[in-house]
Amino acid sequence: MNSSNQKKRNFQIEAFKHKVVVDPKYADKTWKILEHAITEIYNHNASGLSFEELYRNAYNMVLHKFGEKLYSGLVGTMTLHLQEMAKTIEAAQGNLFLEELNRKWNDHNKALQMIRDILMYMDRTFIPSNRKTPVHELGLNLWRDNVIHSSKIQTRLLDTLLELIQKERTGEIINRGLMRNIIKMLMDLGSSVYQEDFEKHFLEVSADFYRAESQDFIECCDCGDYLKKAERRLNEEIERVSLYLDSKSETKITNVVEKEMIASHMLRLVHMDNSGLVNMLIDDKYEDLGRMYNLFRRVPNGLPTIRDVMTSHLRETGKQLVTDAEKLKDPVEFVQCLLNEKDKYDKIINLAFSNDKTFQNALNSSFEYFINLNPRSPEFISLFVDEKLRKGLKGVSEEDVETILDKVMMLFRYLQEKDVFEKYYKQHLAKRLLSGKTVSDDAERSLIVKLKTECGYQFTSKLEGMFTDMKTSQDTMQGFYAAYAAELGDSPTLVVQVLTTGSWPTQPSITCNLPAEMSALCEKFRSYYLGTHTGRRLSWQTNMGTADLKAIFGKGQKHELNVSTYQMCVLMLFNSADRLSYKEIEQATEIPSSDLRRCLQSLACVKGKNVLRKEPMSKDIGEEDAFFVNDKFTSKFYKVKIGTVVAQKESEPEKQETRQRVEEDRKPQIEAAIVRIMKSRRVLDHNNIIAEVTKQLQSRFLANPGEIKKRIESLIERDFLERDSSDRRLYRYLA
Amino acid sequence: MLCLATGKAASKELERIDQLFFSYANNSSGLIDPEGIESFCSDLEVDHTDVRILMLAWKMQAEKQGYFTLDEWRRGLRALRADTIVKLKKALPDLDKEVRRPSTFEDFYTYAFQYCLTEEKQKSIDIESICVLLDLVLGSRFGPQVDYLVQYLKTQTDYKVINMDQWKGFYRFCTEISFPDLSNYDPDSAWPWILDNFVDWMRAKQG
Repeated sequence: MNSSNQKKRNFQIEAFKHKVVVDPKYADKTWKILEHAITEIYNHNASGLSFEELYRNAYNMVLHKFGEKLYSGLVGTMTLHLQEMAKTIEAAQGNLFLEELNRKWNDHNKALQMIRDILMYMDRTFIPSNRKTPVHELGLNLWRDNVIHSSKIQTRLLDTLLELIQKERTGEIINRGLMRNIIKMLMDLGSSVYQEDFEKHFLEVSADFYRAESQDFIECCDCGDYLKKAERRLNEEIERVSLYLDSKSETKITNVVEKEMIASHMLRLVHMDNSGLVNMLIDDKYEDLGRMYNLFRRVPNGLPTIRDVMTSHLRETGKQLVTDAEKLKDPVEFVQCLLNEKDKYDKIINLAFSNDKTFQNALNSSFEYFINLNPRSPEFISLFVDEKLRKGLKGVSEEDVETILDKVMMLFRYLQEKDVFEKYYKQHLAKRLLSGKTVSDDAERSLIVKLKTECGYQFTSKLEGMFTDMKTSQDTMQGFYAAYAAELGDSPTLVVQVLTTGSWPTQPSITCNLPAEMSALCEKFRSYYLGTHTGRRLSWQTNMGTADLKAIFGKGQKHELNVSTYQMCVLMLFNSADRLSYKEIEQATEIPSSDLRRCLQSLACVKGKNVLRKEPMSKDIGEEDAFFVNDKFTSKFYKVKIGTVVAQKESEPEKQETRQRVEEDRKPQIEAAIVRIMKSRRVLDHNNIIAEVTKQLQSRFLANPGEIKKRIESLIERDFLERDSSDRRLYRYLA
Repeated sequence: MLCLATGKAASKELERIDQLFFSYANNSSGLIDPEGIESFCSDLEVDHTDVRILMLAWKMQAEKQGYFTLDEWRRGLRALRADTIVKLKKALPDLDKEVRRPSTFEDFYTYAFQYCLTEEKQKSIDIESICVLLDLVLGSRFGPQVDYLVQYLKTQTDYKVINMDQWKGFYRFCTEISFPDLSNYDPDSAWPWILDNFVDWMRAKQG
């Protein structure tokens, strides 16, 4: 070693140089090894390969900058293999096509996995940095491009799939597992492949299929059957999706079925003769209705269609019901029909329309519509209640009583003219109380409580006053008899009900001439009462009383006659005369002539109750008629009821009178509402005042805008309000 | 012609006005009563039912129909600058013009109603009188409306009397509503109910 020639050098570690480094043939050789391996893999000969060696080879190629060669080689060789596979698949006959495709797909996937493992280093380094498609994805894309999209396979695949689905739809059994695999393959290739190569066409073909099928069905099936079929098809498609299609297809295919089978034929189904919605409603076909509801709720405007048809049918039948002359003859029957109709539809909405609130609302608005078409509805509902409280509820359990009363309240709520109902209810209640003919005091009070809850205290305070009067009168009678016990021993028994004016329905105060025995007794009562109650005035309501008379007829027949006060006055006259003319009776009793005629008719002209005889025997009462006691009177009953104080449907003139009174009562209510509103608002325009007043009075009756206007003008005249000087539409409150 | 009366001339005028008053007045009551008004009208050569007398009363702001007080008389004649019958006669056409001016007419119209309320607490006027009054004050300007309205008022049975609010409504109707087509009548506006019915009646007639 020549120390003088040694130069100073930095210490360097030189890279380990593999002896194959620069050899270009190295890359080719390595690739050939890998290529061969890939072929073996595709030929199912992978077991003889060494994973580590192959991995190392691939690794080295990438390391020595031959990644591109490796990648393009992969692409090339895989493509070749796939093309071969495609040929095999193409060659498959008939049913074997799908099976072959499936088999080859599985093969490819296995191969791909192995290949990717071998090429993992490239997958992780070269590919990302060179923005190449990763191996697995590459494998799928190549499969897609060379197999699925190969001209001989693409169409055939789609056709085969669709054909199988069609077969299944017509009832044949198909290989669902195979279908699932193939469809999964398409899904794995990407959602656009699934959609473009299958789903899109599937939906189109299905639409055609269902369009045709629904057309056939609708020609030959009735509505119920058609809906059953539609439901079945819908469920089939849902099942199909769960078994072998992408779950995202469910909504799409169900939309197709819904559109073709339901939406397109909705109106025709609903209006089908003899089997459509209306027939189902009439015949209470709960199952069919429920099916229709469930199917129609899936399509736009489906439920509104059902609801509209139901509503117009309901309104139509309701209208017929309330204008049916036959039904109107019997008010109780009329109301019972309304209740039956309500029950029927409540049940339908409950069982078939899953208690849908919009349907309940439609039901309510329909009832409100037609109940108010008949102005006598308030009167009839009150008569219904009257019948129930007089006898209908006899022997009925407390629970059932409550149910019936609640149903009555439900009808009451539909009434627009609640104040008319109130008037009739009061009249009928008065008759019930005075004739002592109420089945259950508890039931009466229960109903009043319900009315109070619904309408407020004012509605029922007077009604409660009536009950109080009855109770007080009982106490008064006890006191009277206690005080006069000695004197009254022989006299007829007197029962007086003292009614507070204002609580009871207004009655004209008509007196007549009572028989001597009675008038003396009544006077005694009057002085007793006024003795204990100063500052009050009593007037006898002879048109409202009853009397029990014991009578002995010509042949000794004994009877007890239950009559009205008027009838008693007339009959008692015959204790001192055998024959009396109409004029004589009129003079003696001073009963008003129309009442007297009715009274005499009920005593002389009604079979089985003719305690008097009339000459001539005509049905009408003439001024010249003569009356006699009917000595030949017979009845199988000891007690004969002739008086009528029972509530009845009003006659035409009575109805007019009541209507007039209601109208008169409304005027102050309207004015009070106007004043109330104007007092708080001070200034308000015309339209708003009409709206506010109507709203305030809604719970009692429907206020007429013309009537409101008249009341406003009346208030202007009386200086409660004035018009604004510049804007005539504004009203101003005058303090 | 504007005459500015000087102090002396003014008091002379007032004297003559007062003199004129007392020539018609009832001596015991100190007022011109219906009798006095009749002779006043005949001197004026105007019928006492003529609308110009009503206008005169308005100018005087006369309170009670058929009577003029001294104050009212003074008020009216001074405003008209008339202290003799002759001057008064000459002043009438101008008075007519003044009253018919839109700005003053409404006041005159309202006055006309009030003037006819003879009893103390009276608030309404019977249909017959209303018809006469309508014709008197509105007849010349709104002939067709008044004719139909009068016909309607006489046939309807809803109202036997008319109040101030309704009276005012009639004038408003004539000035605002196109007649006889009634095309701009809005029933939802706050027209008096009687006019709603009048319009229905008109429309029924027109078929």
